[in-house]
Amino acid sequence: MQFLRLVLLGLVIAGLVSCASVSNNGPGSEGYSVGESVIPGTVIKPPDETSPPVRLLLAQARQASQDGQLSSAESYLERALRIEPRNAVLWNYIAKTYLYQARYSQAAGMASKSNSLAPADKVLQADNWRIIAQARAQSGDSAGARLAERRAAEYSSP
Amino acid sequence: MARRPRSKKTTASQRPRRLGATRRKVGEGLRRGWGIIRHWPWLRILLVSAAVSILYVAYLDYHVRHQFEGKRWALPAHVYARPLELFPGLVLSQTEFREELRLLGYRLNYQPIEPGSFSAQGDQVFLTTRPFTFWDGAEPMRHLKLVFQSNRINEIIDTETGTVVNLLRMDPVFIGGIYPRHHEDRILIKLDEAPPLLLTALLVMEDRNFPDHFGVDPKAIARALLANLRAGSTVQGGSTLTQQLVKNFFLDNRRTLWRKLKEAIMAILLEAHYSKNEILEAYLNEVYLGQDGSRAIHGFGLASRFYFDKPIQQLNTAEVATLVALVRGPTYYSPHRFPKRLLDRRNLVLQTLVEQGFLDAALANQVKQAALGISPNTPGILTHYPAFVDLVRRQLRQDYREEDLTSEGLRIFTSLDPLVQQRTETSLRQISELDKRYHQNGALEGAAVVTNVTTGEVQAMVGGRDIRFAGFNRALDAVRPVGSLLKPFIYLTALQQPDKYNWLSHIEDTSISIKAQHGEVWTPKNYDLQEHGDVTFITALSHSYNLAAVRLGMTLGFEPIEGNLKRLGFQRDIPSYPSTLLGAAEMSPFEVAQMYETLASGGFQTPLRAIREVLTVNGKPLQRFPIRVQQTLEAEPIQVLNSGLMQVVQQGTGSRLMNMLPAGLLVAGKTGTTDDLRDSWFAGYSADHAAVVWLGRDDNQPTGLTGASGALPVWGELFAGLPTQSLQLVGDDKVEYHWVLPDGRPSHDGCKGAMQLGFLHGTAPVGQEVCETRSP
Repeated sequence: MQFLRLVLLGLVIAGLVSCASVSNNGPGSEGYSVGESVIPGTVIKPPDETSPPVRLLLAQARQASQDGQLSSAESYLERALRIEPRNAVLWNYIAKTYLYQARYSQAAGMASKSNSLAPADKVLQADNWRIIAQARAQSGDSAGARLAERRAAEYSSP
Repeated sequence: MARRPRSKKTTASQRPRRLGATRRKVGEGLRRGWGIIRHWPWLRILLVSAAVSILYVAYLDYHVRHQFEGKRWALPAHVYARPLELFPGLVLSQTEFREELRLLGYRLNYQPIEPGSFSAQGDQVFLTTRPFTFWDGAEPMRHLKLVFQSNRINEIIDTETGTVVNLLRMDPVFIGGIYPRHHEDRILIKLDEAPPLLLTALLVMEDRNFPDHFGVDPKAIARALLANLRAGSTVQGGSTLTQQLVKNFFLDNRRTLWRKLKEAIMAILLEAHYSKNEILEAYLNEVYLGQDGSRAIHGFGLASRFYFDKPIQQLNTAEVATLVALVRGPTYYSPHRFPKRLLDRRNLVLQTLVEQGFLDAALANQVKQAALGISPNTPGILTHYPAFVDLVRRQLRQDYREEDLTSEGLRIFTSLDPLVQQRTETSLRQISELDKRYHQNGALEGAAVVTNVTTGEVQAMVGGRDIRFAGFNRALDAVRPVGSLLKPFIYLTALQQPDKYNWLSHIEDTSISIKAQHGEVWTPKNYDLQEHGDVTFITALSHSYNLAAVRLGMTLGFEPIEGNLKRLGFQRDIPSYPSTLLGAAEMSPFEVAQMYETLASGGFQTPLRAIREVLTVNGKPLQRFPIRVQQTLEAEPIQVLNSGLMQVVQQGTGSRLMNMLPAGLLVAGKTGTTDDLRDSWFAGYSADHAAVVWLGRDDNQPTGLTGASGALPVWGELFAGLPTQSLQLVGDDKVEYHWVLPDGRPSHDGCKGAMQLGFLHGTAPVGQEVCETRSP
């Protein structure tokens, strides 16, 4: 009986550990939806000239992300990117799917790329710098994160 | 815990007695049995033979199942090209689309209602797509109308619902399998990949009762026996497909009665264990269909490639009939030795199909007129894209074990764009002409890599002049001096110090001697053996002056230049000799492609990749290889450098391109030539594509070609046909673009010699704009 209890205890612990590793995939991964800004409740909209096929893929990516299927969302976004490689918002969306999957260095890379494509879009620049800040913070680079936060604040100020 | 009461109580004294009684009874039975056998010896023989037979059948059973399972489960990885995404507005001509359909094996039909069929009327194409499962879901079969207008897709309509389709993904072209070494002579196909006519003709000609018999067909045997008796020799066989499959497993052609019996037993055993479909599929992949020197051609997949140089899905009616004709005896009906015999048998197959109601008589008569059409090319290739599949295999090996790749039936989705690949191949065919013109006696070789600037995906790769030959992959393994391809990185290193240098900075293009290692003195020369004196950076780069580049390199120092090469994506160490600056450093076309890709994407390094996704044999997602981008170089100096590399094409060593490319297509690039004209390079990019072309000889002998006379025209022909976007010079708050004359004076658009160059804010020349002559 003692042995049985030990086995049960072991199973419970193993279960808890596996649950923990599943849910721990980045800041705010719960309920993340493609298109949302890093700041909860705000949205980064695709530019008006975004084409119908890309909009269709964005809708599918959004649905996949709401279903928790971030790798499917990523795949839709990459397809969109192949159609409109210079659409900076798409790079920003992918950066966020990476961020929420704890792929920090890749998230920062995609956010920088997004910035390079839309130097004049302040809202997007601020969001990208926030992604970079979070990515840096999560990778232990707190000084770099503060720097990125400052850049984000510069773009956010009216 | 309560014990269950015994239903019957037995006492200790009762139990031995009961056991003893049983033993006595068994003993009596055995004794009586042995008695019978003693009295009837034939029964003993019968029993022993029965036991031996059972053991033998069990042995055969094990043997045949072992063979069958061995063949069945060794599924090579299937490699697919990128699926073509169709949407209104896509730049794609009808010709290109029909080329894609040809590669996919879509059939031209008047009424394209079957999946994988199409028809065309003027600027419209009607088609029914094949359903396909991708990483992010299944794409259903759809009936569609595509309207083309001025090399674009104008509209896509779902003809079933009448609705507009905004996006559609075609099924991807199958480009090859990854086979284990000992099995490299197979192209395994699935039952549903075989053309329906092939299956019909096979059953009609070889085994009409296949769906109903149990492995052996007594009626067919009787029929054959009668026919053979009448003829006095073997004119007809009675073997079922299952028996033929068994025969192929063991490769034994002796016609003994014992072997026939053995085959029959094994056939029955196979039928007992496996379904008809499984047996037919194994047959399709196992049947012996010819000989290529010492190599046996097994299976319809390989035979299709071997005889007709195309995948099985693309065979026409005559070709299907030819393969079925071969089943009866590939030696007797050898297409090379006895073409007439084979032609007659092929027509017999067609006639039989008509008689059985499977083929229209008029069509058959037409098809019978066709020649055999056996491919004269080097036959038996496993993939049309050996260089690319080689890259895929190498990239997969980093994540998978060799045996998983060759046996698990993984489905590999890659970035190969068959249309870009085709253009690359066509451009590289110039090698033959250049070879003749420069008297290379067939030794001139070449390679090319084309990448997508945005994603770092490899879209096309050619590994040698013999494009279909899976030999030395020069795109990956020809590590050669790169010549002037490194010069842009010397200038980049300077432009990264904007307070000191810009395009109009001056440098001496005059003789220089440098003490190299071991006390040797190195004295580089210009290609034209002249010195050009005091020149601007842009003049020195666009005309590829060696002396200026070496002087600048020596001033800047080796380390920062090497650091830039690493940040551009070059991973190996290079020797820090002064001659390295002039391109004595050796690199493969793939390595150069990686560095120019980073330039093309503005300082963002994207590791070149060939694989997008891996799915299991059942279509379940296994692994994705996502886009990875890292900014490794500051963007602004790269923007400035790119404007200079555009000038190389417009006014410098790359200016031959201007006559080759469509008017208005702006690209950037650099030629590369090595000592004694041994290597000819061109590397360059548009906004969408980056590509590297190398020409040279495997024995490293001089070719007579410079970068401009060899690799450049190949590159130019490639880009002239690619749907690709121009580079654009759009200034921002850090970089501005100005028109200047080569001597540095400000000028404006339309003036002779004026060029548009990038400057960091505050570094552009000031003064009165000069325009001495308007350009024509």
